Amino acid sequence: MNASKSTRVIQIALQIALAAFVLLPFFWMISVSLKPATEPFAIPARLWPQDPTLENYVTAFRPEFRTYFVNSMIVSGASVVITVVLGLLAAYSFSRAQLLIITVLMGGVVLAQMFPHSAIIIPFYKMMRAADLLNTYASLIIAYVSVTLPVAVWMLRGFLLKLPVSLEEAAAIDGASPLRIFCEIVVPLARPGVIATAVYVLIVTWQEFLFALSFTSTKEMRTLPVGLNDFIGQYGIRYGELMASSVMVSMPVIAVFFFLQRYFVAGLTAGAVKG
Amino acid sequence: MATVEITNIEKYYGGYHALNDINVDIADGEFVVLVGPSGCGKSTLLQMIAGLETITGGELRIGGDVVNYLPPKQRDIAMVFQNYALYPHMTVGQNMGFSLRIRRDPADEIKAKVERAAKILNLDQLLDRFPRELSGGQRQRVAMGRAIVREPQVFLFDEPLSNLDAKLRLSMRTEIKELHQRLKTTTIYVTHDQDEAMTMADRIVVMNTGVVSQIGAPLDLYDRPANTFVAGFIGSPAMNFMDGTIQGGKFQAANGSSWALPSDAKVTEGQRCTFGVRPEFVEAGGDVAAKVIVTEPTGSETQIVADMGGEHFTCLFNERIAAQPGDTLKIGADPEKCHVFDIETGLRL
Repeated sequence: MNASKSTRVIQIALQIALAAFVLLPFFWMISVSLKPATEPFAIPARLWPQDPTLENYVTAFRPEFRTYFVNSMIVSGASVVITVVLGLLAAYSFSRAQLLIITVLMGGVVLAQMFPHSAIIIPFYKMMRAADLLNTYASLIIAYVSVTLPVAVWMLRGFLLKLPVSLEEAAAIDGASPLRIFCEIVVPLARPGVIATAVYVLIVTWQEFLFALSFTSTKEMRTLPVGLNDFIGQYGIRYGELMASSVMVSMPVIAVFFFLQRYFVAGLTAGAVKG
Repeated sequence: MATVEITNIEKYYGGYHALNDINVDIADGEFVVLVGPSGCGKSTLLQMIAGLETITGGELRIGGDVVNYLPPKQRDIAMVFQNYALYPHMTVGQNMGFSLRIRRDPADEIKAKVERAAKILNLDQLLDRFPRELSGGQRQRVAMGRAIVREPQVFLFDEPLSNLDAKLRLSMRTEIKELHQRLKTTTIYVTHDQDEAMTMADRIVVMNTGVVSQIGAPLDLYDRPANTFVAGFIGSPAMNFMDGTIQGGKFQAANGSSWALPSDAKVTEGQRCTFGVRPEFVEAGGDVAAKVIVTEPTGSETQIVADMGGEHFTCLFNERIAAQPGDTLKIGADPEKCHVFDIETGLRL
């Protein structure tokens, strides 16, 4: 009994330590965002500001920030919708067709995911320039859909494989067309998978920096992660405003993840074990 | 209601011959059970009738029309699946009315039909519930309700009771039978349970390794099995088989026992054959000696597994037999209730 109790205490202590390790940067981000301009580097350093202020937030929430926010919303929103729709269609085919080539194609999908962004950005850039898409939403949306679609297909396929085929057979006997079966039976039942995939795509695209920096050249087209760079000047970094912006940038994703995390975790593990 | 004519049906999966020359004619309003062990092809045949599997060869007619290439929705059939296949995101009422909604029936007509079917199946209080809120038996009734609201030409049941516990299985068996008697819709029912087949069917189609072993009324199959497979499959506990030869007008088993032959057996002196005795037709007090291995009293019956020349031999008595393991039991059987089969082909002689 004592051994098991002490094991439990050690477990909890380790969990708290791990949580602190992970959460400390977020705490520090919030703390710095609430500190007046003179305090971030005060010695001795304070965990929590002596005189908390929202001044950094007021300064950070300037018109450019709103533009960046809208741009991020448009790019991420469109990427989420397109990736989920294409991913669902592809995953449905991959989950239902009984062909040997499916295994090969799914291997190809994994392979496509293995290239780091830095390795594919130059060909991507050349293609966007050739298509005259640089500095447009379309360039970012196409890039984001390309890099998130493979994982989306895998996640959605895991969900769809768990749906009993007999439901689709029952609907076919009930008189439903294949399109109707997909729309009225498969999609509603794949909702947890759709949500998980949407959250994944949102997280990836909302924080993406490299493509956004390379493909956009004017402030009007910048997204939030690139916009944060504005606070890093040649002669110094405006940490208070940078951290306030970071908090505001993180909030939507944290909120979405907080409410939908159970779907997201399920999505990552779907198909991992035989149901 | 409609007839179903299955003529020379074949099914290949690549090089694997799953169904071989299946011929079954099902009359209008008949309740036919396809029965056989796992992998015999009964569910494949049902899926081909439903239109969920392609037909490699042969002809399938429903209501006189060839339906080989028609999709499921054009065959006017309804199917009850082993796992119920209820749409989890729809209520009971929506599940039952789904096919009518697709058919674009007027909303008030759908409501009336769903309510009528729900009343027949005692589901009228559950129409607003979701499948996850129902018990196994209720789900099975919803699956049946979904089938009956459409008033199809043919009902197909694919092992609908195998997910239920033994008690519920018995009551649902009665409900399905009652439903058939009330609606008189042609029904094809697949099961691996010979008890279900015997109690529910007008006719049974016994299948084995992709071929039809025998078609007939339940008691015909029981009384006159066409081969050793049907003889062993129909009836519980299973029939006892012994190999041996015909000597002096009697069956002389290799295990040393000797049995009188049924009068209609077409055998010749010296012919090698297989002799079958159903456990329930074994009588106490015959000439054959058997050494008791296990006694299993159930109250109304006593099942005894005995050793006969190194082979197990099962007896089922409708009385209480006070035999102990190691005791010698003298047994016999009415020859007219015994069966003789060809030792090579397994066919009835």
